Parts: sequence; C-alpha cells; structure tokens
Amino acid sequence: MVNELLSKGRAVLAGSLIAATAFVGTAAQAQVISGTVNGERYAPTIWIDPDGCEHWVMDDGVEGYMDLKVDRQGNPTCHPVQACAVMNSDQLFATDKYTISAAGRKRLTDFFAQAGATAYTVIGHTDSRASDEYNMRLSYNRANAVAKIATGTGARIADVRGYGERMPIASNGTAAGMQKNRRVEIICIK
Amino acid sequence: MKAIKVIAILGVAASLSACESVVTEGVSSGGKQDKTIDRGLDAKHLSQLQAGIWIDPIGCDHWIIDDGVEGYLSPRVDKYGKPVCSGSAAPNTAIGPFKSGSVFGDAI
Repeated sequence: MVNELLSKGRAVLAGSLIAATAFVGTAAQAQVISGTVNGERYAPTIWIDPDGCEHWVMDDGVEGYMDLKVDRQGNPTCHPVQACAVMNSDQLFATDKYTISAAGRKRLTDFFAQAGATAYTVIGHTDSRASDEYNMRLSYNRANAVAKIATGTGARIADVRGYGERMPIASNGTAAGMQKNRRVEIICIK
Repeated sequence: MKAIKVIAILGVAASLSACESVVTEGVSSGGKQDKTIDRGLDAKHLSQLQAGIWIDPIGCDHWIIDDGVEGYLSPRVDKYGKPVCSGSAAPNTAIGPFKSGSVFGDAI
C-alpha cells in the first residue's frame, strides 16, 4: 500500500517534470535558447529478443522505434543463454595441431546429427601461450576443421571465426584455466 | 513558495488525467507520455512484442515486428556483436510470427 502510494507519487512527480519539459519545449519552439535543453522526453523500455539480447524500444503513438542496445564498447547486452556446445580443444586436437582425432570426429558428427539448429557459427579459442598472431591462426584453422565436419553431416555453417586468446573465459594464470580457454565454441542459430 | 509548487503539481496532475481520458492510439494533443507501452486497440507493455526474422539483401537477419500500427526492425547479432546471417530464407523475405502480436487488421 505504502509502496503503491510512493510509486504513484513518483509517477505524478515524473509527470509534472515531463509536463514542465513539454511547456519549455513549446515556449522554445519560437526561439531556440542556447544553453537550454530543448528536448522532449523519450524514455525507452527494453525488449529481449529470442536469442536473449536486449533492444531499446519506444512506442510514440503511431510510430514505433527500436534499436539494438550496446554498451559503450559497442558490445551487445545479451543475457547468457546456454551455449549450444563448447568443446574442449584437448579432446579434439593434439597440441598446436588442427587435424581432428578419430574420436573427436565421431563426437562432432554425433553432435551435429542431433543438434537440430538452422545454422551454426563455429568459433575457435586458445589459451595465452605463444603469440597473439599464432593463436589467431591456430584457432581459426581449428574452427575450420570443425566446420568441415559439420558441413559433411549436412549442417549449414553461418560463420567460422578464430578469436585466438582474445576472449578468455577463465584465468590464463593456472593450468586448469588455460585448459578451459582452449575450446571450440559452437553457436546454434535456431 | 512551497504552496505554489504544490498547486502547480496538482494542476499538472489534473491536466494529465484529463489527457489520459481522451486517449486514442497516438491522437492526444499533449503527445504520448509513456513510450514503453502500446495503448489503444491491443494495449500491452512493449517487452511482450512477438518477433519474426527479416533477411536483408546481404543475407543477414533482423528482428521484425509488425505490431498493428507500429512496425519495428532491429539487427540480430550474436553475443560478440557480429551479425547473424542464418540463411534460413532468401534475401528480402520475412519469416516467423511477426504479425501475431496484434489483432489490428493490416492488409499489407
């Protein structure tokens, strides 16, 4: 009850602020005064798409507006949805190699046979040992090897990327962390 | 001074509620105050929108929503911010339930 009253009070206050701004707006239409904010209040809400990423959305009566929400680095703000598959590189490849073992090949074939997505994006990652340039190349070659198996099973590949050591999910300061970072990530596009 | 402020706020509140009572979709003289709801025929909060996918001429996906009078379009990206180009339909087509969020008759 108290909360309700409080929120009502807040709504009235916000309303009066909007009205005040609107009034300033009409007054300023005749003459734009420099140093004054001549804006109209456009506060959006958030719509979350089926992939879990956020978008700004506003309904201005007849018009509707929507835009992808990104942070100041330009990255989208997505809620963590369970990754379709993250495969440990050690189980697919020998150190520094990008040919897939027989066991790895079987595992991947089985995975793509049952995953049932419209398309897949395959992304390779490494730990931080060796140079950045080397890791970018290795992770891309490994992602390509996985994508080739996917294509063999009839799966559609949307994109293949190698991010090298640039997108770690664990600390590279420990052996366990480095092992986690050596991975092939598969994004399933529904 | 304080009394004047209170009177001003009350006046504004009264004028606002008067405004709310003559609401039709988008046609109120004062402009629509709350941009986060769709009001009128099929009133709802905007987080409830039903999206489909539009494939642009390059072949990449966008979320498309036809919510009666309003139309929305926004890029589909993965968690790294790269466009999603699923190839699930030919370029320049729209698929999915994007018109299902509204009962507004829309011939086009």
